[in-house]
Amino acid sequence: MMQDNKNSDSPDLLKSKINDVQSFFKNTLSSLDKRPLIGWFCTYTPEELIIAGGFTPLRIMGSKKIVKSESYFPINFCPYIKSSWDSLLSDMSNLKALVFTNSCDGMRRLYDTANTYLKKIPSHLLDVPRLRGEDSTAFFRVNLAHMKRFIENTAGVKIREKEIAEAVLLINKKRRLLEKFSLIFKKFPRHIYISTYYRIMELSMTSEAQVFIDELEKYLKFIEDSAGQNKTISETDRGSIPGIMVIGNFITEEKLWDMLSSMKLRVASDDLCISSRYFIKLVDKDGSTDILTSLARRYLNKSPCMRMADLGLKLKEIENTIIENSIEGIIFISLKFCDTVLYSFPLLKERFNQMGIPVLYLEMEYNNFSEGQLKTRIQAFLEML
Amino acid sequence: MNQKYIKRLLGIIAKKPILYTYGSTFSSVSDKYLNIFTIESLRNAYSDNSHPVGFGSLFVPYEMLHALEITPFPPEVMAGFTAGLGIASQTIKQSASNWYSQDLCTFHRSASGALELDVFPKPDFILATNLACDAAQKSFYIYSKKYGIEKNFYLIDVPYHYSKESLQYLTGQLKNIYMDISSKTGREPDYSKFREIISLSNEFRNWAVKVNDLRKDLTEYPPYFNALNYILPFHVLPGTEKAVTLYKHMYRELKKYLAIQQGKNGSKGNLPKRILWLHLKPYYKSEIFDILKKENCIVVFEEINYVYWPELDPLKPFESLAKKMLSHFLGGKIDNRVKVILDIAREYKIDGAVLFSHWGCRQSNGGARIIKDSLKKLGIPTLVIDGDCVDRNNSSHGQIKTRMQGFLEILNSKT
Repeated sequence: MMQDNKNSDSPDLLKSKINDVQSFFKNTLSSLDKRPLIGWFCTYTPEELIIAGGFTPLRIMGSKKIVKSESYFPINFCPYIKSSWDSLLSDMSNLKALVFTNSCDGMRRLYDTANTYLKKIPSHLLDVPRLRGEDSTAFFRVNLAHMKRFIENTAGVKIREKEIAEAVLLINKKRRLLEKFSLIFKKFPRHIYISTYYRIMELSMTSEAQVFIDELEKYLKFIEDSAGQNKTISETDRGSIPGIMVIGNFITEEKLWDMLSSMKLRVASDDLCISSRYFIKLVDKDGSTDILTSLARRYLNKSPCMRMADLGLKLKEIENTIIENSIEGIIFISLKFCDTVLYSFPLLKERFNQMGIPVLYLEMEYNNFSEGQLKTRIQAFLEML
Repeated sequence: MNQKYIKRLLGIIAKKPILYTYGSTFSSVSDKYLNIFTIESLRNAYSDNSHPVGFGSLFVPYEMLHALEITPFPPEVMAGFTAGLGIASQTIKQSASNWYSQDLCTFHRSASGALELDVFPKPDFILATNLACDAAQKSFYIYSKKYGIEKNFYLIDVPYHYSKESLQYLTGQLKNIYMDISSKTGREPDYSKFREIISLSNEFRNWAVKVNDLRKDLTEYPPYFNALNYILPFHVLPGTEKAVTLYKHMYRELKKYLAIQQGKNGSKGNLPKRILWLHLKPYYKSEIFDILKKENCIVVFEEINYVYWPELDPLKPFESLAKKMLSHFLGGKIDNRVKVILDIAREYKIDGAVLFSHWGCRQSNGGARIIKDSLKKLGIPTLVIDGDCVDRNNSSHGQIKTRMQGFLEILNSKT
């Protein structure tokens, strides 16, 4: 059994066990087989409402190849959006509905495209304000009520507050565990591969929450027990590996994570919408406010995407992360044609220069990059550190 | 070229006798006023120290700036000027050295470069909106950082849907911005002035509607007249006497041309093919419009000149301006834009549409397929031209020419 940990395990064997995602997350990987799903795209989508309606939220990750999308969107268009459209045009038989957000111009056009050419799957666009504050929260609460009605219509049942509250507890638990996992990942960089970390993050958004939570708990326990019993895994193993922060958007490139795993670096922190921007901040249900307002507060005040109005706040957050985690270098990596993230780079670059933090700037297509060239650039960057 | 040089130059050419002599060199009265008012507006932005300067993105409600007596300066429109003046390659190069990706819109890149090269006047306030475009809200925030005026940066967050709640949310934002700027400039809110501005905006709107109605029958235009050049008066000047004067003159001038055209209509001859222009055009010298003319095609309307908003209520300035923003067809679903395009297609009896797919404009280009398919249902072909409105080096002129010729052959083969 892969999950058994023994004092006698050699470092290599232990490492191989920890990185065997298939074994640890067997149920998670098959959890979606027959469940009614609602697809979502952006981390501003409250999964809680989808779960309360009796559906499993599934983040659309996009297909590996972009083929059909080329005739729907221009060449210089977000590759995540194009690959998502390709996957929607393929077999998505379990998908009962789609929830989009007005995250960016590209996402608005993806919604329009789905609405026009994929009428068999009902779709909804959740309007997410770009400002924070009480007015924005009140307005977002109204929009969440619209989304709730859409889910109710899709399910054919009324969603009660109790069901939303239960979903909040569930997703909050997932967030806590993911945060814990991210701390453990930072603690034991030699034992948990970067690719393993991001693979599990991806699973957290594409599987049935309870099944994933159960397996993640077991997985984390295994690592903690191993650290307690086995001298080959310890916190001090960070050694002289430089701590990097990865900043970007929807980066799910397995080959990239594999490559980074094989290099002399550790991801000491990140700011990505497939990781920290997904799980940081819990829904605070204190009983004094209604549940939709609590949800509105959490989502508008979570770790912001660069789409939000106050880029200054984002800069400050990144700056604090750099200091708290003793970051030595930044890898800024963006999908091509992502305006919101690309426009943030001139500001970030200026700030990193002031802080004396080197930064490597990468733009990439979706699941399509020159491995050799990228490796050389990253190696040269690491040497500089 | 920097702001000192421009200020000096504008100081010379904006003097009344010189300016009006310069204006009289234009063969079209509309173009004459367009140029005079543009130069005067710029002169004010560069030299009038008695009023604060406000940068605004294209779709902000400029009426509010006029009401606050803030001299407006639209960097995106100015980016079009960098193309016309032939300095866009410099400004774009500058933006690249400031880490703007080459995949971003060149209106915003060129404006950013111009700002870095000290070509723009220094703003006191910056207003941007997310309406239609992601790029403006981001690049305008960067401008505020550059000038150290982040606290005077305002993003007008325009909701996606038009509803009672979104109107309330937006109205509240506009009111807060107005009050905040009033307090920062040490002025008491002047609602009677605001009412006057709103009335002027309505007057401009009425003339613009009349011009647009008249153009439904018009095929003879003054020499060199191109309605795609009127971005500044249409978007920035509403609420001023200038916009009213310009569109009044435009109406009178085009009416004369219509009379001449109707006088000739004894022999209908070879009627031109009627084109609807979607999105913007290249603002550097381009042969696109020469090709259209040569092939007996005429742009009968441009979607950017469509009057999309209802009359404003002078007694409810904030709510009216919020309604104006929420009525924009580039906000919300693409269906809003498609509806406007199809309405124009029917009203202007168009034979074909040209969508100029400006590099980096995701909101427009991302809907090209839907627009094309929608027009196709009416039997109207659409040509999507991949190009760049600002950077001539980013447009393949040979390819554009070939594609246009192919499209025009299709149009001309239709009886």
